[in-house]
Amino acid sequence: MRPSRAEYPYRWRLMDRLEAAADRLFPRRWSRWTGWLMLAPALLLVAVLLIGLVQIADASLHTLDRKTFRTSAAYSLDNYRAALDQGVYLAVLWRSVLGAAIVTLLTLLLAFPYGYVMVRTRSSNLRKLLLIALFLPFFIGQVVRAYGWLIILGNGGLVNDLLGLVGVPPQRLLFNYPAVLFGLVQYMLPFAVLMLAPALTAIPEETEAAAGSLGANWLRTLWHVVLPMARPGLVGAGLVVVSLTLTDFAMPAILGGGGQDFIANAIYDQFFRTSDQGLGAALTLLLVGIGSLVVGAVFTAFGAGTLAMGRART
Amino acid sequence: MGRIRQQGPQPMIRDAANAAQAAKAGPAVSVRGVDMDFGAGPLAVADAGFDLARGRFLTILGPSGSGKTTLLRMIAGFQTPTRGEIFINGEPVSKVAPHQRAIGMVFQKLALFPHLTAAQNVAFPLKMRRFDARGIPARVEQFLDLVRLGGLGGRRIHELSGGQQQRVAIARALVFQPDLLLLDEPLAALDRKLREEMQLEFRRIQRELGVTTINVTHDQREALVMSDEVIVMEAGRIQQNARPVDLYRDPANAFVANFIGVTSFLPGRVAPGGLECGGILCPGTPRQALAAGTPARGAIRAEQIRMAADGAALAGLDFRLQGQVRDAIFEGERQLYEVVLPALGGIAVQVYHHDASDFALTAPGQTVTVGWNRRDMILFPAAVP
Ligand SMILES: Nc1ncnc2c1ncn2[C@@H]1O[C@H](COP(=O)(O)OP(=O)(O)OP(=O)(O)O)[C@@H](O)[C@H]1O
Ligand SMILES: [Mg+2]
Repeated sequence: MRPSRAEYPYRWRLMDRLEAAADRLFPRRWSRWTGWLMLAPALLLVAVLLIGLVQIADASLHTLDRKTFRTSAAYSLDNYRAALDQGVYLAVLWRSVLGAAIVTLLTLLLAFPYGYVMVRTRSSNLRKLLLIALFLPFFIGQVVRAYGWLIILGNGGLVNDLLGLVGVPPQRLLFNYPAVLFGLVQYMLPFAVLMLAPALTAIPEETEAAAGSLGANWLRTLWHVVLPMARPGLVGAGLVVVSLTLTDFAMPAILGGGGQDFIANAIYDQFFRTSDQGLGAALTLLLVGIGSLVVGAVFTAFGAGTLAMGRART
Repeated sequence: MGRIRQQGPQPMIRDAANAAQAAKAGPAVSVRGVDMDFGAGPLAVADAGFDLARGRFLTILGPSGSGKTTLLRMIAGFQTPTRGEIFINGEPVSKVAPHQRAIGMVFQKLALFPHLTAAQNVAFPLKMRRFDARGIPARVEQFLDLVRLGGLGGRRIHELSGGQQQRVAIARALVFQPDLLLLDEPLAALDRKLREEMQLEFRRIQRELGVTTINVTHDQREALVMSDEVIVMEAGRIQQNARPVDLYRDPANAFVANFIGVTSFLPGRVAPGGLECGGILCPGTPRQALAAGTPARGAIRAEQIRMAADGAALAGLDFRLQGQVRDAIFEGERQLYEVVLPALGGIAVQVYHHDASDFALTAPGQTVTVGWNRRDMILFPAAVP
């Protein structure tokens, strides 16, 4: 008699078929290589990236001859010298790093209460609402969202219309540093909340109640218990936001109006406007270097947070 | 209790007025007509009321879902009663936040702070309650010693065994000298040996400090071993509030009789001198006066039924009856028999037998004589109130 569906779900049957097929394709005795086989695609991808990086490093060591538009055959560090000597690039570097720091701080400040309420609320409707509000922006790409802000914050936009109603003259809300940072914070918030939520879920409500019964008011509970216990989430969220902000292209390009470039914009210009591949490559490596330094510093200071996959905790 | 109270800095939470208040003879805790309604389903706690004198150890005992935790959380201040009032040291507390009540609580899952060391966990309430910082290390040391964790203060929580973590939680709840200690099944997760050790340990510490304590458990042994008083709860209602001995000897109703110990019930009707069951008069005593002919149940504990292969050995008992052994369960220090009584319509009773030399002699199928005394069977009205 064939087992009924309830006793033997279709999912199990499907697995049986797949396992039989896999057995034929990949005999059991090779099974100690299975792990590596499953890693292979990802390793391949990383390898390709590494090759690209090496090529970029190579390109960064050849300068562009502006008369012939040929790259020099000789190796030199001139591109790095140019990048670090010219005020423009230093300003761009500084703007990106400062921006990344400010955006990360603001994003974490906003994401923490949002995530906390989402995790702790007793109302499942509120939780759903917060989740939907979090995911909706994901369906709208970064560029479209930036254009949305152009419309809302523009001279004839919604915000200035509203300001006009209360008698405030039109304000220039776009194409400045705060506008770029504002757009970036808004863009990063969902990432940060999604990275924080699991860490907050992992803090038992009972632990907070315990802090209360031991004499801590909510502020001291937050400071002495919730924040330290949420640290892995804060570190993980912070790392994601820092790296995404440091390398962002669309927000500075659109909301900065060309005057508020980040490193990625400068690199783009070198590769696609002035065609100075060498300088572009040098800037790229500087970006990779700065990013690695920041991430490395955070790792040493705070550990890898949730990115350590729970191994560092317990 | 003197040793601990005299050493170390005095806590600042008690001003002179409070001290005078504490010296008064009134109950440390009193619960008056408290209901808790979560909205869905019946009341989680219904009309709970009791007084607990200073320094006493009370256990709330009941099956899962009977409202024990809810009652405890209301006393701790994590939940507000929908009706009634709770008084601690004579003061109504429904408007007092948990962190403003001087209550130490040990949670079921301990709720220790994993990012702090054992010593820091114990220091936490002192810091939160603004004790003099200079006195904190000595005091932490003293309480770690009290729970026999001296020298382990520097360990992180995950570097301690389950029983050691337990002790940290106890020290943390006691170190600020709370008026009241609340325990929500903190021993439930431990293995039996360690649990029994911790029960005695707890009792020792509680006596040493003299702190008023309310413990919640569904382990009847724990309730009987540790407590001065036991409250039995079922479906949100307090069924009985009594000393352990009285609870055991004189259960207030069939639920309590069934919940404590191993109890057999005989169905029948009240008759003069006992219970008429299957045409036979089984001697027993009604708990309250019951009219003859009322449907009733006779409750008798497994260790109060005697059993022997030879009926003559039971000659001194008020009542004797033949039966067949249906099952024999070896429990180590004793053996539990299930004996079918054909004369009572095939009802089975459970019988404890402690004579180890006899264990092998009585096998399923064998005919035996069982018997008991009149005072050992208690009659309750058949419909459980
Ligand atoms: N927050 C809540 N919301 C709704 N119902 C609840 C809530 N907390 C408890 N209850 C209900 O109240 C009743 C009593 O629960 P309580 O937690 O007090 O039981 P308990 O006696 O502690 O049980 P256990 O021994 O399993 O811990 C249960 O029926 C439970 O489902
Ligand atoms: Mg409970």
